[in-house]
Amino acid sequence: MTALRKYVAFARIAAVQAARGRGELYGRMAFVAVILGVFSALWKAVGEAGMPIAVEMSALVWYLAVTEWILLTPAPAYVDIEADVRRGDVAYQLARPASYLGAAMAQGVGVLVVRAPVLAATCFVCAFAVTGRMPDPRSFVYVVPFGISAMVLIHALYVLTGLAAFWLGDVSPLFWVWQKLLFVLGGLMLPLALYPEWMQWLAHGTPFPSLLAGPGSFVLGVGSADAWTLASRLACWAVVITFGALVVFRRAVRNLQLHGG
Amino acid sequence: MPSLPAIRVKELTKTFRVTRARPRSLAGRVQDVLAPRTEVVRAVDGISLSIERGERVAFIGPNGAGKSTTLKMLSGILHPDAGDATVLGHVPWRNRSALAFEIGTVFGQRSQLWYHLPARDTFALLAHVYEVPPDEHRRRLAALTDAFDLGPFMDTPVRQLSLGQRMRAEIAASLLHAPRILFLDEPTIGLDVSAKAAIRTLLRAQSETDGATLLLTSHDTGDMERVCHRAVIIHQGRVLWDGSIADLRRRHVKSKRITIWSESEHLTLDLPGVRVLAARPYYMEVELEPGTTPVGAVVDAASRQGVLHDLAIEDTPLDEIIRSVYRDAEARSTS
Amino acid sequence: MVGHGGALTRNSRASLWRFARALFTTNLNAALALRGAFVTQTVFMILNNVVFFVFWWVLLRRVPHLRGWRLPDVEVLFGITATSFGLVVALTGGVRQLGQFIEEGELDTLLTQPKPTLLYALGIRSRASGFGDMLSGIGFLAISGHVTIVTIPLVAVLIAAGSTTILACGIVFFSLPFWIGRTETISRQLWELLITFSLYPEPLFGGVLRLMLFTVLPAAFVSYLPVQIIRQPSVAVVTVLLAGSAAYLAFAVRVFERGLRRYASGSRFVAFG
Repeated sequence: MTALRKYVAFARIAAVQAARGRGELYGRMAFVAVILGVFSALWKAVGEAGMPIAVEMSALVWYLAVTEWILLTPAPAYVDIEADVRRGDVAYQLARPASYLGAAMAQGVGVLVVRAPVLAATCFVCAFAVTGRMPDPRSFVYVVPFGISAMVLIHALYVLTGLAAFWLGDVSPLFWVWQKLLFVLGGLMLPLALYPEWMQWLAHGTPFPSLLAGPGSFVLGVGSADAWTLASRLACWAVVITFGALVVFRRAVRNLQLHGG
Repeated sequence: MPSLPAIRVKELTKTFRVTRARPRSLAGRVQDVLAPRTEVVRAVDGISLSIERGERVAFIGPNGAGKSTTLKMLSGILHPDAGDATVLGHVPWRNRSALAFEIGTVFGQRSQLWYHLPARDTFALLAHVYEVPPDEHRRRLAALTDAFDLGPFMDTPVRQLSLGQRMRAEIAASLLHAPRILFLDEPTIGLDVSAKAAIRTLLRAQSETDGATLLLTSHDTGDMERVCHRAVIIHQGRVLWDGSIADLRRRHVKSKRITIWSESEHLTLDLPGVRVLAARPYYMEVELEPGTTPVGAVVDAASRQGVLHDLAIEDTPLDEIIRSVYRDAEARSTS
Repeated sequence: MVGHGGALTRNSRASLWRFARALFTTNLNAALALRGAFVTQTVFMILNNVVFFVFWWVLLRRVPHLRGWRLPDVEVLFGITATSFGLVVALTGGVRQLGQFIEEGELDTLLTQPKPTLLYALGIRSRASGFGDMLSGIGFLAISGHVTIVTIPLVAVLIAAGSTTILACGIVFFSLPFWIGRTETISRQLWELLITFSLYPEPLFGGVLRLMLFTVLPAAFVSYLPVQIIRQPSVAVVTVLLAGSAAYLAFAVRVFERGLRRYASGSRFVAFG
C-alpha cells in the first residue's frame, strides 16, 4: 500500500502544478469556444446542402465537444519527458525507489483530475450556447468514464513519444504525425460513418477510433450495446500500449546502463 | 588642434521601476494585478567622466552597480532619465544609427555569431551591415584572422567551437569595421585561465594597432590590470574612483605580505609594523604595515637568522583594494 | 574612416537592399546547415498538412457543396494559406521569436548595429517547416485545377499579399511584450487563431465574426480574398487586397517602432547590472 501512496503523491504534485499553470488551460478553453463556433457554422452549411448521415447538426457539434474534451485535457507530457531524457534525469530516477514510468503515469492522472472538469464544463457550456440544446443526459453516463479512460491512454502515448527521445534527435515530428493520424483516423471532427469503407477498416487497426470516435459516438444516439464493444477495444489497446511502454522503457534503461546517460 | 574626448558623460542618470510581488496569498495576488507595487531603483545615479581617444578604460563594480546600464546608454540602446553624453560627437540615444557605424560591441553573455554557420558567414554579413567595401573587408579579415588565430576554425560551425574560440571570433567580428570605440560587457566571463589571457592580450594589442578606444565592464580585476591602464569603480550607480590603476594601487595599498622559508627552525621578527600571521618550523608569514619598517630591513633581519630558501613579497591584491573601496563607500553612506 | 563613404551614402536604399539580400541568404544557409533536421521538418510539415486536408476530402465527397464551395476551392484555400504562411516562417522566421527577443533583451545586439532593427530581427531566424508548408501549398494549388500557367503571376501576387498580412499580424502579436510581460501564450494563441480561421471557407462566417475577420484578425486578406479572386478575377478586389495588406504592414511597423521606443526608455522591467 505504501507503494501506491508514493504514486498518489506524484499525482498530487502534478495536480497542484497543473492548477498553477493556468495560462495554457485558458488558451485551450478559448480554443474550444472558437472551434465549436466554427463547426456549428460548418454543420449548418452542410445541413443546407444535405446532411450526409442521419444525424442532427446539433448532435455533431456535441460530438466535437466530446472529442475535443478528450483531446485537449491531457498535457503534452512528451515535452517534459524528452527534456528529462536529454538532461539525463531519467538516469537519476532509476536510482530512486519509484518507477519512472509509474511516476509519469501518476503525474498524468494528477493533471487530468484538475483539467478534465474545467474543460468538461467549458465544452458543455460552449456546445450548449452554440446549439441551444442538449443530448440525452444518459449519454453522459457513458461519455465520462470512456472519455477519461481514453485520456489516460492518450497520456500513455505521450509518454511513449517522450521516451522515443532515447533514439530520436527530435521527437516533435514523430508527435505531429501520430497526432494528425489521431485526428483523422480517430474521427476528431467527423464521425467515422462518413469515411470511405477502406478508411474505416484502416482506422480500426489503430487505437485511435476507440479514443475519440468511440466516446463521442454516445452523443450521436448510440446505445449501451456498443459500450461493451468499446470497453473491450479500449481494454485491448490499453494492454498493448502498456506492454509497448514497458518494453520501450526497459530497452531505454538498458541503453542507459550500457552506454551512460 | 584640441582633441575632443571620445566619450564625454555628464551626470548621467537612469532609474527603473521594478515590481515587487506581495506575499503569496489570494488577496496579495489580486492586489498585484490591480495595483502592482513598484519600487524605483536608481541604477545609474549621476555618473560623469571623460575618456580620450585611444584610452583603455575598465568599469569595475559588483553586480547591480550600474556598469551594464551605463554601457547600454553610451551605445544608444537605453535612454537616460537625466544627464548628457556624447560619444564621438554624437548623442547616443539621438543618433543611434549614425553612431552605430563607428562603434563595436561585445556582450559577453550574448552572441552575434550565427550559431549553425561558420564564423566566416557572420563576418560576410557584417560587412554588409557596416557597409565595408569588399576589398577593405578582405584586407581587414585577413589581418584579424592572423592576429586572432582564427584560421583553424573559420569554416567550422560556431556551435562546435569552444568558448575561448567563440570569444575570439566574437571580438574579431566586432572589430571588422574598424570601430573607433569598442564597448565590451563582461568579455571574459566563463572563460578558462588561458583563454582569458589570450583575449586580454589580443584586445590590448588590437586597440594599440587600431588606435581604438576601449571601454570594458567586468568584475574580474585581471581584465582590468592586463588590458586597461585606467579604472572607473562604480558602486550603487555612482563613481567611487576614476584614475589610473597605478594610482589606485598606491592610494589604497594597505600592507605587504612577506612569506619566508628559512634554514633556521625558529625565526624572530620583532620589528615595528610587523605582524606575524603564521609561524611554523622553517616557515613564517608576516604582514608589514606601510610606512613602518622597510621591506629590506625585514628581509635582512630574517636572512641574518639563517639562509633563506625561498621568499615571497606580495602587494595587497587588487581585488582586496577594490573591496576596501566599496567598504569605505558603504561605511560613508551608512554613517 | 577610410572607405565608409560619406554620410550621404550610409543606409541608402541600395545598401539596405544589399543588406536585406545578404541577411536572407545567411538565414537560408543557417536553415540548411542542419541538413537532417531540415529534411525531417520539411517532410513532416507536408505530411501534417496533407493529413489535415483529409478531413475536407472526406467531407466534400459526401456533401455536394458547402455554400457554393467545392473541393477544388478548399484546395486553393489550403494552397494559398500554406504557401503564404510557409514563406513568412521560412524567410522572416524571426517574427515568431520576436516576443522572446524582446523579453530576453536579444534586441540589444541588433540595436547597436546600424541597420533597421525590425528587418534584422525578422531575418535572423528561419524555420525549416516553412519550406514544407510552401511545398505542400504549391502542391494543393497544382491539384486544384484552378491555377494555370497564365494565372501563376496573379497567384504569386496573391501569395505575396497573404504573406504580408501574416507577417504584419505576427509583428503586432509578438510585439505585445514591449508593453505587457510574459505574453507568449496570448501571442501564440492569436497567431494560431489567424491560421485557423484562414483555413476555413469564408462562406461559413457571418455577422460580427465576418467583420472581425476583415479587420482585427484579417484572415480575409490572407486567404478569403485571394480565393475569391481566383474563382472570379476582379481588379477591384485585387486592389483592395493589395491596399489592405500594405496598410496592415505599415501599421505593424509603426507598432514595432513605438514599442522599440518604449524598450529604449527602459520602462519595461529590465535586469540591470
